[in-house]
Amino acid sequence: MSDLANEEKIKADLEKEFHGAVSNAVVQRRNRVWLDAEAARLPEILAWLKARGLNHLATVTGFDEGENLGASYHITDTKILVTVKVKTPRAEPTLPSVLASFPGALSYERELEDMLGIKIAGLPAGRRYPLPDDFPTGQYPLRKDWKFVPPAGETEAK
Amino acid sequence: MSKITIPFGPQHPALKEPENFMLVLEGEQISGATINLGYNHRGMEKAAEDRTYIQNLYLIERVCGICSHSHTTCYITNVEELAKAEVPQRALAIRTLFGELERVHSHLLWLGVAGYEMGFETLFMYTWRDREQVLDCLELLSGNRVHYSINTIGGVRRDITAEQKAEVKKRIKYLEERTQYYIKLATGEPTVLARTQDVGRLPYDVAIERGAVGPTARASGVARDVRKDDPYLIYSQLDFKVITHNTNDVFGRLVVRALELVESYKLIHQILDGLPEGPIAVKVPWKLPAGEAVNHYEAPRGEDIHYLKANGTDKPERLKVRAPTLANLQSVAYMLEGGWLADVPLVIAAIDPCMSCTDRAAVWNPEKGRTEVYSWEEMRKLGIEHYKRRGVDFGRL
Amino acid sequence: MDSILPLAQIMIFPGFLFLAVYGLLLQWVDRKLCAAMQNRMGPPWVQPFADFIKLLAKEVIVPDEAESVMFRVLPFFALAAVMTAMVSIPVGQTALFSFQGDLVAVVYLLTIPTVTFFLAGWSSTSPYATVGAMRVLTQLFAYEVPLMLSLIGPAILAGTWNIAEISAFFGAHPALIPAQLLGFAAALIALQGKLERMPFDIPHAKNEIVGGQFTEYSGRLFGFFCLAVDMELVVGAALLNAVFLGGALGLTGPAAIALFLVKTLFVAFLLALLKVLMARIRIEQMINFCWKYLAPVAMAQVLFDIFLKYKLG
Repeated sequence: MSDLANEEKIKADLEKEFHGAVSNAVVQRRNRVWLDAEAARLPEILAWLKARGLNHLATVTGFDEGENLGASYHITDTKILVTVKVKTPRAEPTLPSVLASFPGALSYERELEDMLGIKIAGLPAGRRYPLPDDFPTGQYPLRKDWKFVPPAGETEAK
Repeated sequence: MSKITIPFGPQHPALKEPENFMLVLEGEQISGATINLGYNHRGMEKAAEDRTYIQNLYLIERVCGICSHSHTTCYITNVEELAKAEVPQRALAIRTLFGELERVHSHLLWLGVAGYEMGFETLFMYTWRDREQVLDCLELLSGNRVHYSINTIGGVRRDITAEQKAEVKKRIKYLEERTQYYIKLATGEPTVLARTQDVGRLPYDVAIERGAVGPTARASGVARDVRKDDPYLIYSQLDFKVITHNTNDVFGRLVVRALELVESYKLIHQILDGLPEGPIAVKVPWKLPAGEAVNHYEAPRGEDIHYLKANGTDKPERLKVRAPTLANLQSVAYMLEGGWLADVPLVIAAIDPCMSCTDRAAVWNPEKGRTEVYSWEEMRKLGIEHYKRRGVDFGRL
Repeated sequence: MDSILPLAQIMIFPGFLFLAVYGLLLQWVDRKLCAAMQNRMGPPWVQPFADFIKLLAKEVIVPDEAESVMFRVLPFFALAAVMTAMVSIPVGQTALFSFQGDLVAVVYLLTIPTVTFFLAGWSSTSPYATVGAMRVLTQLFAYEVPLMLSLIGPAILAGTWNIAEISAFFGAHPALIPAQLLGFAAALIALQGKLERMPFDIPHAKNEIVGGQFTEYSGRLFGFFCLAVDMELVVGAALLNAVFLGGALGLTGPAAIALFLVKTLFVAFLLALLKVLMARIRIEQMINFCWKYLAPVAMAQVLFDIFLKYKLG
């Protein structure tokens, strides 16, 4: 299809440039490209995409797939939206930081640490976001096995 | 001069919603600013996983009071994409109409807030009175002023009659005149210029670097508008301009929003004149096939992006919402540094922040706080002691 | 009998009671005018009185960190200074206590409330109040000189430093009143700064530093500060009326008082107009404006008056 030429080209270039590190790349529809990537090479891939003009990291979606945690990086030039998906084992979840190429990603990465407990290597120290300062450590609300339990003696405000 | 650290929020008259900026002042000038967020976290993304798609529609509408239509439309586009539903053209046109009415309502609100923050209360009073016109339009069409609930999965809930069309056009005509007056006022009044020009500068490179979106980015010359770049609904059939400005300051953001109002009026007339005939909704199954979709939407404040993952049941596996304010807040710290204390409220307001959008989830704190945070018991004890000193004993209660 | 009359004058008319009631009424007029100009309803006339009475009934909270004695007495200093200033300003034809040089004394007395505002903020020691206090003082240096300069012009022309005599002079030569227009405008703007009203409400700009110098004040003490500000508005309007607008214009008795009310209401209207027309400016813009434009304008008026005086002989 000729109207998907741009999308196909990005996909093909990515597969060529990062041979072996990129898999399952699909052009879903106009302006949407999805791919899985190796976590270790994530900053490189994003930097490469940024150099191609996709210089806006729209957001990062963290997810919990059972044995793996992971994150989808939605990166765009507001026309083509490329979603780069990386996974990391639940036992020791770690992802590299992408702040070097996207300084605006600070709050998205903090959110990954706070809500899913994915350690971001290279994230500067700072106040947590979005959970309160006194939220108990080791509790990650967006993990599938997390359930809200009201503390003993108090009831949830309705 | 010695440095003073001033807390700006979470409770502060200039902020309508809780957020916190710690400002380090040298005299009247700011030498450092840090942003603390999360006071409004309501647990929406987690809550969405326990609700059906149609229930989530109403949950998502409550992410934000102002962009209620933006969030639901963005969410519903994902749902319909996964369900492979063919939404009728008339429904899409009505959604677009609401999107533009919402933009008008939001930008007029912003204009008033900006006036208030720069100490120009007359502008605030004028714009908010005129904003009633567009709220009346929304009420006329949907029955509600703020949470319109016009969207439903597969279409919209209410049709538009010929009388409604005429009434909306009449009110928009009035607003067009008023907006011309505001544009004259905002670009001509010397005190407004004195307060907005060269305030809160955000150069083009920094706007890109920090991921600014919407009018904030467009005022820095970044011609980015999802409506144009990745058209959704019926925007590809409509004729409008992307407004940009190159002054990179609060004045630019003022001008961009004012001119966008004019574009929105144009769009509303186009939509109403060319409203396609046909049904307004189709049936969509309760259960969605497994799959992923991501869509963005140009909300009044900027790009709003939703990600949805379905797992074959009637409830989503994962829903992610990123509201425009979160993207813009990274730029605020940059804009504040080196500025004047007097400009802080205006600079913050200039991105049109919406904190309830930004912090979507709170998990209520089950454990006792740090040392400086009082627990309920400590608070009660303190209160009792305080009144004991004044001769009233509440200890027995 | 002789000792009761001055006491009654000080306590009732044109002293404390008149000032307080008229001050609160002018506050209402100001609020109502602004409301009308801003396309809204505005409060009923009892509102300022209700606000004041309610504040009197509220608990006074003195912060632990604050300088307690200072914090408590300052509102009364402000009130006393404003009332004393009124003694020398004519309401009808004559002032209560008129002497040569009372113009300087009144300007001096009117500076005292501003100084108490500064001290109020400073002794509160909270960050907002401290910033507010600094702004009060900075602003004082900006508007005080233009205000004084603009008052000197009519004094030179009349050849006296007595307010009642200046007023009588213009009453006798009403043709000279329009010649004071520049000075009047400068004095009006400087007065707006003195009263800390928009666009010069920088010291207590609510969206920047909450309540500014009054952040920590509450209840009765805050109520008296508000009353002092309202009374200062009357005194300021009366001063402009006496110095620039010819005071009683030769009228006597109730007619003179009626004229006083009409002209002070007119000044209040002009001040309300200034309030709704503009956005609040920044403190450094205020200083620039006062020194670059306002002071030279006032100075030009003084030079013009000297020239006029020379011409008239």
